Amino acid sequence: MKKNARIFYMMVIPAFVMFFGFHTFPVLLGIFYSFTDWNGFAQNYDFVGFKNYLNVFKDESIYAAYGFTFQFAILTTVIVNVVSLTVAMGLNARIKFKNFFRGIYFLPNVLSLLIVGYIFNYIFSNMLPNFFENIQMKDWAFNILGTTEWAWLGIVIVTVWQATAFNIILYLAGLQTIPTDMYEASSIDGASKWKEFWHITFPMIAPFFTINMVLSMKNFLMAFDQIVALTSGGPAKSTMSISYLIYTDGFSGGSFAYQSANSVIYFVVIVIISIVQLKYLQRREMNL
Amino acid sequence: MKKTLFILMVAVLMISILAGCASSSNSNKSSETKDAQQVELQFFQYKPEARDTFDKLIAKFEEQYPHIKVVQDNPPDASTVLKTKIAAGEIPDVIANGGDSVHAMLATSGVLADLSAAPELKNITESYIQILKDITGTEEVYAIPYGVNANGVIYNKVLFKELGLTVPATWDEFVKLSQTIQEAGRLPFYFTFKDSWTTLPSFNAFGASTQGDQYFAKRKEKQTSFAEGYKAAAEKYLQFISFGQKDSFGKGYNDGNAAFANGESVMYAQGVWAISEIKKINPGIELGVFPYPVTNDPDQNKLVSGVDQLLSISAKSEHPEEAKLFIRFLMNPDNAKNYVQGVNTFSAIKGVTQDDPSVAELIPVFEKGLVSDFPDHYIPSSMKLDQLLQELILKQKTEPFLQSMDEAYDSSLNR
Repeated sequence: MKKNARIFYMMVIPAFVMFFGFHTFPVLLGIFYSFTDWNGFAQNYDFVGFKNYLNVFKDESIYAAYGFTFQFAILTTVIVNVVSLTVAMGLNARIKFKNFFRGIYFLPNVLSLLIVGYIFNYIFSNMLPNFFENIQMKDWAFNILGTTEWAWLGIVIVTVWQATAFNIILYLAGLQTIPTDMYEASSIDGASKWKEFWHITFPMIAPFFTINMVLSMKNFLMAFDQIVALTSGGPAKSTMSISYLIYTDGFSGGSFAYQSANSVIYFVVIVIISIVQLKYLQRREMNL
Repeated sequence: MKKTLFILMVAVLMISILAGCASSSNSNKSSETKDAQQVELQFFQYKPEARDTFDKLIAKFEEQYPHIKVVQDNPPDASTVLKTKIAAGEIPDVIANGGDSVHAMLATSGVLADLSAAPELKNITESYIQILKDITGTEEVYAIPYGVNANGVIYNKVLFKELGLTVPATWDEFVKLSQTIQEAGRLPFYFTFKDSWTTLPSFNAFGASTQGDQYFAKRKEKQTSFAEGYKAAAEKYLQFISFGQKDSFGKGYNDGNAAFANGESVMYAQGVWAISEIKKINPGIELGVFPYPVTNDPDQNKLVSGVDQLLSISAKSEHPEEAKLFIRFLMNPDNAKNYVQGVNTFSAIKGVTQDDPSVAELIPVFEKGLVSDFPDHYIPSSMKLDQLLQELILKQKTEPFLQSMDEAYDSSLNR
């Protein structure tokens, strides 16, 4: 038994050390810097206490970024989960070429979001405007990424396209845990498909629903790659996400310490949201 | 379930194999250089237009000094990448930035070596050394000015002839010219505001000719405000923007270069750095450049010209001698000439001229001294002037714009 324990420790400890070295330690450093006035590369810095934190709460561009990021994250979480659950049910049904379709729907997850973003950037900037130009719908022949009203839509489309793949897999795994005799019973009782979904399928995959909601919300609140590839936060800051603001303002804007304070606050916000989501959805799982 | 697990595992395997490849090829590289006992210089430069020219110069340098290997690093969004690197402690040996607020930050934070005593400075036109001192606000010089740009209106000579137009000298003539072009069914300007920085070159010209003397020195002391000093600039800028195409926020810098090269617009609001890019697309195009006629007094209309490329050395470089050798090589008149020909800017080095016909009209302006530095070189980058300008153009209202400029400037001094 003792011998075994040593082997298990050897399995666990390296990952722990790496996690601490490459994740926890930088986080602690970031918290440390948030109490200084370091600009990111100066040789020395001073402690300024909570000044950065106070200024964050007065900064309108940070409020605007919070507004955009939350609207984006909530909307995208809903769309991604509706789409991926629908597709997963289709892929779980008895259809022809099932494995082929599963492979196709899995593909976006293998591609990097950054690359997907650059491809869509080209589609939005060139292919779509040219297409509308050619079919004589000149009012539609513009780049949606170049308008403050519609740029968010482009980002939502790209994110949904890329993110559904992963959620489909989780839902598919969930759907396969449902015993088929439950469906047989319900069909004997004469339940409609709609009722079957709400009373059997959805309750049975509740744990998968919880994890998908929490993971996608957290991922979309940290939206970064798609912003870099599509709009760089523009036009006129209309698609500035919090992560991207922290990166650009912290590094190129030379306010490293200030944005560290912002990211510490944001970290706390995300943790709170995730815990609330988990608590609420898990309670729901038990009630079902 | 098994199937999905299988797919997942294959994906994970593929990724780990790819990652494995990458790391093993890297380690091969570094061991090779060690074997040959070479010195490797990291050369960071921020101009995508200059990449090919530097590649050629580096090849020539490595031929002359076989023991030194120069690695050019020219990433997109260069100034952010540079700051990220410096924050991580990876300071490139030679840094070739522009003379702007990034240089000021690097110099005043002790990242760059003091070059005040460098003999190379003797060959540099005085005024550009002064510009660097103004930007950093120090008596020391932390870089050697190398390339100097000019920011005017690029125009298509053939289209000008076709439409019977002449180069304008005053604001009224300029407005009339743009209207004539519109009436002829042509597009005066092609704007590319999807890349937010392209809002800046023209705005700099409007600011430089209307802000008055010593504006930023006064602004720093709060003796004036943007609401006061930049009202005229913002109003004229909006009128100027109205001469662009409809979907100007949907197009980027590269789209604009291609469109102007193919004659889609008669004029193009970019500095001379864009000329080499335009000529790559249409080598036969005949271009000219004139200073923005911002006011009705031709003697007030300044050409905006700044230090476009400077050469600086990291204060912590492990190979300062080799870095100096590389800079000395680039300063050599023949190589400097190659550089300005490749990038189509002007040289800060005395006696090195730019003979390209497209910029010939600017040489008398330089000689008259009607030149002013870029105002945005004195504006902290945390102000995000480019995004404020995007907002100005979209909302078409100058007052909130000037107000947010004042607020952003004051709060950036507070950080």
